[in-house]
Amino acid sequence: MFAEKVIELLKEAERNKETIDQFNDEKIRQILEEMHMLFNLNMTDANASSENKSLWTAVQIRHSALERNKRCLLAYLYNRMQKIKTLRWEFGSVLPTDVRELLSDDEYLWFTKYSTNLASYMRSLGQDIGYNGIDLTENLKPPKSLFIEVLCMVDYGKLELEDGDVIMLKKNSRHFLPTSECQTLIRQGILKQIV
Amino acid sequence: MTNSNYLNISDILVSNEKIPCKILQDLPKMGFLDPSATEDDLKVGSNVEIPLWLGETLYSRRPPLVSVDLPKIYKDAYREILNADACTIDLHKFAQYFYELGCYIAKYDIKGEVATTLVNTFKQRFRMLLAASVSNDSIGTMQPLSVSERERAAAAAATEHALSAWLQRGDSPLTTACMVANHRKRKRAEMEML
Repeated sequence: MFAEKVIELLKEAERNKETIDQFNDEKIRQILEEMHMLFNLNMTDANASSENKSLWTAVQIRHSALERNKRCLLAYLYNRMQKIKTLRWEFGSVLPTDVRELLSDDEYLWFTKYSTNLASYMRSLGQDIGYNGIDLTENLKPPKSLFIEVLCMVDYGKLELEDGDVIMLKKNSRHFLPTSECQTLIRQGILKQIV
Repeated sequence: MTNSNYLNISDILVSNEKIPCKILQDLPKMGFLDPSATEDDLKVGSNVEIPLWLGETLYSRRPPLVSVDLPKIYKDAYREILNADACTIDLHKFAQYFYELGCYIAKYDIKGEVATTLVNTFKQRFRMLLAASVSNDSIGTMQPLSVSERERAAAAAATEHALSAWLQRGDSPLTTACMVANHRKRKRAEMEML
């Protein structure tokens, strides 16, 4: 049957809406192979169809299968792209290695470009009124207080604050920090707000 | 339909559902579409189950190469049950994409009864959907819902939860981003499996 491999691929993606999967090189190669096969069959039949008109329908059916495969592949890539966009907003501009491994080389290139674009856009914001840029990934929720109490979830290492103090973020240590300095770390799951 | 986006994965999965078709013309070299066929060519009059997307292209040819038959769940017998009491049917078992597929199928039903059945079914099942979204026994009540109903119920439950959280404390603590948290969870699950 036509276009079955590609459905497996999409079902895989559909099952994991919340996280990104390993880029499935192997399956994409198989699908492209199927498409090449369909195309070659179509070439032979199209050449033969000048004598045998009935082959024409076969050509058209295969052609719609080709288009179907194309649609599915594009949908797969597009949906991954949307997720990669979210990665930039949630993990920040530097991806942890284990997430980085899930992307294909081209996807990683796209990620870097998107990241640069976003950064230069954020730098350009508010320049006409004397600010040099706004970090849009900050303050996604309205800040309630200037300082918050946080619990450290992992061994992170040293963190230098804006006033020059260096603190050691060790697992299970508690800190009382300026909200602006720790909200990115909270979003990355390194700190947790204690309420 | 907002769902029929070229790049929409769930729309693609809907159009992959099998529909029964009758072949109206000999189709050379397409014998593999019918698992019981022994020849290379598909003969006139054979009945095959093909995915909706293929059925649609074959049907849209002039003259049409196939005639599309209604899938079982949209036929008279099931329509009667649905119109009598739609809540008794486990849509997840019978037709996961009942509404979405129905929207595609409705145009092959000349009498237009499928369309009205769709609306009626949703009207009747709405109460069930509402119950599922406020219920604590999520597995039991979610089970008979179709895919899109499940999504709606889950969204309703999430909204309900967010509202009550907000009402209880006007303050919203900062949290880990959704994808980061899920990535961690999955990694942990993988580690445990090893």
